[in-house]
Amino acid sequence: MKEKAEIREQLQAPDSRDLRIGVYVCHCGKNIGGTVDCVKVAEHARDLPGVVLAKDSLYTCSEPGQEQIKADIKEQKLNRVVVASCTPRLHEPTFRAACEAAGLNPYLLEMANIREHCSWVHLHDKEAATEKAKDLVSMAVSRAARLAPQVELTVPVTRKAMVIGGGVAGIQAALDMADAGYHVYLVERSGSIGGRMAQLDKTFPTMDCSICILAPKMSEVGRHPNIELLTLSEVKSVSGYIGNFNVEVLKKARYVSKECTSCGDCIQVCPQLAPDEFNAGLSIRHAIYIPFAQAVPSTFLIDMGQCLNNQGIVACDRCFQACSHKCIDFSQRDQIIEIEVGTIVVATGVDVYDPTALTELGYGKFPNVITTLEFERLINAGGPSSGELIRPSDRRRPSKVAFLQCIGSRSKRSNPYCSNVCCMNTIKDALLIREHWPETEIYVFYIDIRAFGKGFEDLFRRARREGVIFIRGIPGEIIEDINTGDVTLLGENTLLGEQYRYSMDMVILSVGIKPRRDSEDIQRLLNLSTDTDGFYMEAHPKLRPVDTTTGGVFLAGAAEGPKDIKDSVTQASAAASRANILMSRGEVRVPALTSRIDPDKCTACGLCARVCPYHAIQGSKEQGYYRVIEAACQGCGACVPECRFEAIDQTHFTEAQIVSQIDSVLANDPHEKIVAFACNWCSYAGADFAGVSRLQYPHNVRIIRTMCSARVSPAWIERALLKGVGAVLVSGCHPADCHYNNANQNTARRVERFWKRMERIGINKDRLRLAWVSAAEGAQFARVIEEMEAGLQKLSPRQISQDAEKLRKSLVKKSETT
Amino acid sequence: MKFWRLPLDSEVHSIPVGRVQIIENRCKGCGFCIEFCPNACLKESKRFNAKGYHPPELIFQAEDCVNCGLCSLICPEFAIFTELQEAKKITEDDIRKVTTRYSRKDKRFAKR
Repeated sequence: MKEKAEIREQLQAPDSRDLRIGVYVCHCGKNIGGTVDCVKVAEHARDLPGVVLAKDSLYTCSEPGQEQIKADIKEQKLNRVVVASCTPRLHEPTFRAACEAAGLNPYLLEMANIREHCSWVHLHDKEAATEKAKDLVSMAVSRAARLAPQVELTVPVTRKAMVIGGGVAGIQAALDMADAGYHVYLVERSGSIGGRMAQLDKTFPTMDCSICILAPKMSEVGRHPNIELLTLSEVKSVSGYIGNFNVEVLKKARYVSKECTSCGDCIQVCPQLAPDEFNAGLSIRHAIYIPFAQAVPSTFLIDMGQCLNNQGIVACDRCFQACSHKCIDFSQRDQIIEIEVGTIVVATGVDVYDPTALTELGYGKFPNVITTLEFERLINAGGPSSGELIRPSDRRRPSKVAFLQCIGSRSKRSNPYCSNVCCMNTIKDALLIREHWPETEIYVFYIDIRAFGKGFEDLFRRARREGVIFIRGIPGEIIEDINTGDVTLLGENTLLGEQYRYSMDMVILSVGIKPRRDSEDIQRLLNLSTDTDGFYMEAHPKLRPVDTTTGGVFLAGAAEGPKDIKDSVTQASAAASRANILMSRGEVRVPALTSRIDPDKCTACGLCARVCPYHAIQGSKEQGYYRVIEAACQGCGACVPECRFEAIDQTHFTEAQIVSQIDSVLANDPHEKIVAFACNWCSYAGADFAGVSRLQYPHNVRIIRTMCSARVSPAWIERALLKGVGAVLVSGCHPADCHYNNANQNTARRVERFWKRMERIGINKDRLRLAWVSAAEGAQFARVIEEMEAGLQKLSPRQISQDAEKLRKSLVKKSETT
Repeated sequence: MKFWRLPLDSEVHSIPVGRVQIIENRCKGCGFCIEFCPNACLKESKRFNAKGYHPPELIFQAEDCVNCGLCSLICPEFAIFTELQEAKKITEDDIRKVTTRYSRKDKRFAKR
C-alpha cells in the first residue's frame, strides 16, 4: 500500500496557478530573422495566457542570450521558459542547463522549432512563415503551461559485466573490463575460448601467426583473477535493466574435472568418433576430446551427443579406466548459474557461409573443392595435414589452385552484403602458398578486389608482383574429371569479354560470413534489433557504433557486421570502455520520460504490459494494478494509447500537454492545417534535415514531437478531426529501424484500425496518413507534406466539417450503446 | 556447416567392431539389451525361442556395435555377450552416420 501511495504522490498534477512564462524569440542572425518577423512573433507571444514577458534576441544560444534568460528567471520569477529558435535536438540541453543554473527545473523549458521547421523551409513566403512561427510559439506556450518539474531517476549500476562469446572480440572486451578492476563473466558456448581466430593459420596484412598472437591472450583470460570463465555455457534468460541485469546461464556438464592434465590417454581407448569441428571436418576427434592444443581451459571434455553413455547409464567406461588421475566423472549434471551484472557485451561472432546451396560449384560433391576455412586448417602446422598443402582426393600436392571470391556474398542468391574479409584473406592465402610452394600456379577469380584497410593495398600489389594471376569474373560452373579429380572452371573474363576454361587441381571457395544461425535467441533475450542482413544493429551507425538501443548492452566483433580481427578488437575495446564508463560511475541517470500508471484507475488488464517492448510494466490481477519499472522504461510511450481506462500517462509528454498543442494549432482555420506527429529519432529529425537542406514544402503543416510514433494516440487523431483539421500525418522510423525496439508496429496497427473506422463512418481515408521517414530522408518528408497538401486542396471546408459531424455522431452512438 | 568429407586422417583411426552373440533359448524377452544398447544395434525379433519369448536380433546390416559390452552386463539371464572383431576402417558412411546420429538418439530418448 505504501508503494501505491508513492506512485500517487508522483502523479500530482502540476501547479498551474500563477503561471509566469517567459518567451524568447531568436533571430539566429538572418537564419530566422531573414524570413520570420521575430518582433511580431514576440508581440504575439506577449498576449498569450500566462506569458509575462516576451523578448526577441539576435542569438539566444549565445552567452548574453543565456544570461538574459537566467536573469529573467531570477528577477521576473519566471516559472516556465519558452525558447523559439532552432530544433530542440540541437540546443535543448543548452537551454535546460541555463534554466537549471538559474534554479529552474530543466523540464520546465519548452522549445518552438521556428528555424528547421519554419524559416528554412518557407524562405520565400515571409508572411506565412511569420504566421506559422506565431502558431508554433502558441503551441509551445500552451504546452509549457502544462509542464511539470521532473526528477531524473538515478539507478545504481552493478560493477560486474558479462561478455557473451569467447572469440577474439569477447576475449579483448573481457580483458579490458577485468583490467579496469571489474568482475567479468565470460560465457562461451563451446569447450574453449578462441573462436574463429583460433582456426586461422595466419592473419592479414602482417602475416602474423594467428594462434601465436591469440594464445597468450587466451591464457591471460584463463588466469585473470577478475574473469570467471564459463565454457560450454549458454545464456538462457536475461531480466532486469541497465545496471541491473539478472542472467541465467546454463552450464553444461564437461564430465572431466579440472585436474585433467590433457595427457590424452583417454583418446586412445574411446570407441566413438566424429568429425573435428575445429579442423572444419578435415580430421577425426573422439567423443572425449580437447577442442585444440592451445585450448583454454586446457581440459578435455566429453561430447555427450557422441558418447555411448548418453542415456544416463554408464555403458562404456574405457576412458575412466584409462585416466590415471581419475578425472572423468559421469555423474556431472548440467546446471543453471544465476549471475547479476550491470553491463553486457555481446560478441557472439559469425557463422561461415555453406556453399552447398550453390550447386554449380560442386561443393559437397567434388572432394577437391574446399572452403577457405578448410584451407586455413589444411595449411596450418597443427592441422590435419601438418601444414602440407595437399588436395583431399589423392593427398597429392596441387600444382594449380584457384580461389573463387564472393562465394555467398554480394549476390541476390545468397547474402547481399560484402563479407569484408574474404578478399584480403584470399590474397594472404595466395601469398602463403607462394611463400611455401613457389612453383604453384595461383589464380584468383574475383568480381572486385576490396583492399581498403591499412596495408591492404600493399599486400594486394605484392601478390600481383609475385605472380598471382587475378581474373575478373567468377566461374559459372565447375566440372570434375572423375578419373583424376581435377576440376575445370568455365566462365567469362569480364575485362576481356571472352569465355575461359581453366583446368585446376584444387579450387578454394572464398566463402562469406553470415550471422549466427541462432543469433535470434540473443536478440530476443536482450531486446536487440537486427539489420536487414541479420546482424545486430547499433544505436547509431556513426556516433554510437557499439551501443545498442537497450541500455547497458554493447556490441563487439563480427556479430554487429562482418569485420576482420583488427576491427573486432578495436570494437571490443570500445565496447569495454563504454561499459566501464557505466560501471566506474556506479550509477546512471535516466531521462524522466517514463510512463506512470495511476493505480486507482488501473484495472490490471495487462494490455500495456503486452505492448511494452522492454518488459518494463509488471503487475498482476492479484496485485490489482500494474506498475512501471522506471529504470527499465525507455520512454517510448507505446503503452499510453493502449490503456482503455486513461490510467497511464507519460511524463513530459502527457496527454494534457499534447492535446493542448493540438487545440492550439486548430484554434484558427483548422481546415487549412495539417497536424503532423513526428517521432523524435527519425521523423522529427527527418523534418529537421529537410530544413537543413532548405527543402521548401507547404507551410500549413504543424509538427508535434513525440518520443516514438507509438505514443500517438488514436484519441488525438479523433480530437483533431473533430476540430476540423485538414489532415493528420503520423510518421515514425522505418519499421525495422524503430529506436524503441519495434514499438512502432503498434503505430501501424493503431493507424490501420483508425482507417477502418474512418471507412466505416464514411470519412475520406486520405486525411490520415502514415509515413515512415528516417532521419536522413528530408526529401521524403517534404514529398509527403506536398502530397498531403495536394490532397487537401481537393477538399472543401464544408466536406471537412461534414466529416467532423459524422465522427461526432458515431461517437455519440458509441457512448449510447456502451 | 554439415560435414560430408572423409577426414584426411581417417586411415589413422579405426572403430572397434563387436560381434553380438545371442543365446536365444536363455532369453526371457525382458528387452533390456534392446532398450539400453547405446548404438541401437538390436531389435526384437518376430521369432519365438524355446521358452516362447521373442529374443533380440541384430538390426539388418548394423555394424554399429563397438563392443561396449553393456548388453552382457545387464542381461539378467546371461543370454547375450559381445566379442571383439577386427577394427574397422572409417568410411564416408560413418561420417554421414555420425553427423546424423544426434537425431536418431534424440528420438529414442524422447520415446523413453
